[in-house]
Amino acid sequence: MKSRMARILAGLAALVIAAVIWLPCLHLVFTRPLSEFCQNQGLSPKARQLAAWQLKLWTEPGLREQELNKMRVSNAEWDFMGRSFFVWSLANMALRDPASKPLYLETMDQIIDETLRLEKQEGMCFFLMPYAKDGHYVIQPAHSLFLDGEIALMLASRRVVEEKPEYKVLLTGRVSAMVERFQKSPRMMLESYPDECWTFDHCVALDAIRMADYLDGSDHSALIHDWIAMAKQKLVDRESGLLISSFMTDGTPLYGPEGSTIWMVAHSLQLLDEDFARDQYKRARKELGAITLGFGYAHEWPKSWKGEADIDSGPIIPVFDISAGSSGMAPIAASAFHDDEFLKSLAATLDFAAFPSRTGGRLKYCASNQVGDAALLYAATLGPLWQKVKTGAKR
Amino acid sequence: MIKSFRRRFAIFQRAEFLSARDMLQRAGAISVMFLLVHLAGFREFTSVLNGTIGSVAAGWNLSAFLAVIYILLYLAFVILVPILVLAAMILTIWQQYIQKKENSLTTPDANS
Repeated sequence: MKSRMARILAGLAALVIAAVIWLPCLHLVFTRPLSEFCQNQGLSPKARQLAAWQLKLWTEPGLREQELNKMRVSNAEWDFMGRSFFVWSLANMALRDPASKPLYLETMDQIIDETLRLEKQEGMCFFLMPYAKDGHYVIQPAHSLFLDGEIALMLASRRVVEEKPEYKVLLTGRVSAMVERFQKSPRMMLESYPDECWTFDHCVALDAIRMADYLDGSDHSALIHDWIAMAKQKLVDRESGLLISSFMTDGTPLYGPEGSTIWMVAHSLQLLDEDFARDQYKRARKELGAITLGFGYAHEWPKSWKGEADIDSGPIIPVFDISAGSSGMAPIAASAFHDDEFLKSLAATLDFAAFPSRTGGRLKYCASNQVGDAALLYAATLGPLWQKVKTGAKR
Repeated sequence: MIKSFRRRFAIFQRAEFLSARDMLQRAGAISVMFLLVHLAGFREFTSVLNGTIGSVAAGWNLSAFLAVIYILLYLAFVILVPILVLAAMILTIWQQYIQKKENSLTTPDANS
């Protein structure tokens, strides 16, 4: 009996010692050099593999339908955003890898044309969640800034890579309509859903307007300046200093600061107000970013804000408060602000807990979906597009 | 013949709880189970982690069930298995050390 007890105690002690040795080392199995995820020039191996999977989806209609249907069961927005992130990624890839530009441009055009066709054929609600049909848009005729902004940014990104006259007309139309509505709105707050406005959508729309200025020589800097001033005054959470995620057309906050929004917002702001962008990233990194045992992840809400898990946050993993949505978007900001330590640890988490699946040089993350993988591809390729517009480099 | 068969498959015989062999057996069992669910393609269902159904045909409940099985076995494989193997090594080294020490105390010095 005594020897049995001693054996069990020895076994438990050995397990504890083994755990103390293994747990801090676990991340070493999954941590790779940052150059595998993103590079200053050219395309990283991971970007190529992620892109290969996304390109396959756009060459095999059956496979695409299967993947998009899986997302549409939960959220039709993801179908749309997956297209946007992939087109923006392709624009960056075309600037990084000119030899593959024809293939990337062809795919961008295919996605844009199909998206515009679906929007026209099925109506804007095709890419929105069902509650878009339940309410009444305050500003009539009804428009969703979510759709207009991202479509405009797709068109503009394509044109930055290479001019396409048909898209010039389409971009000018979208931008003029958005600008007109901004000017009509007393608070510069435009809806994505009935009386529901999103900071994410405003920033993306303003990026598209900024890009249109670069492309066509227009000047909406005053409008952008006014919106940023309004946002600093009315859309910043007092406790964390972070921009809130959504609000009504009268400025009443709906959702507070959220990781699933702020990481992309900080990156979008780089094209509009670099200092404000950096300020938002620093705050988000402090309030929402975390690294434990070498693995990076992100919370959905700062400590000062209580929120409930929803379609944007994804499931929240208890104890560590890890949000799938926020952690999936965090690489975009970490890459944009060259936060190498955080980005490397986020990439390690992806390889550890997002279940990568590699076949024939193609990579997808099983715990993700098409939009998640497209956002990661964007994180792995972003840079040249913003740089070209910011520096006003010749087209 | 039977003796030789038993000796050959001794690794599968139930070991004493928390002994080095017990730990290695558990590590082996987890590895085999993980390998099976991995080969069966359960990994695809982990998309439920971000709120996306694993398979439209399988439906939400089955997708979530298969995802949970895969995730638990995966975590056991990458976290528990190395800990069990390390612990078995630590135990073996410790036991050999104790054995050596006991032997040196009980065996009379050859020169004396």
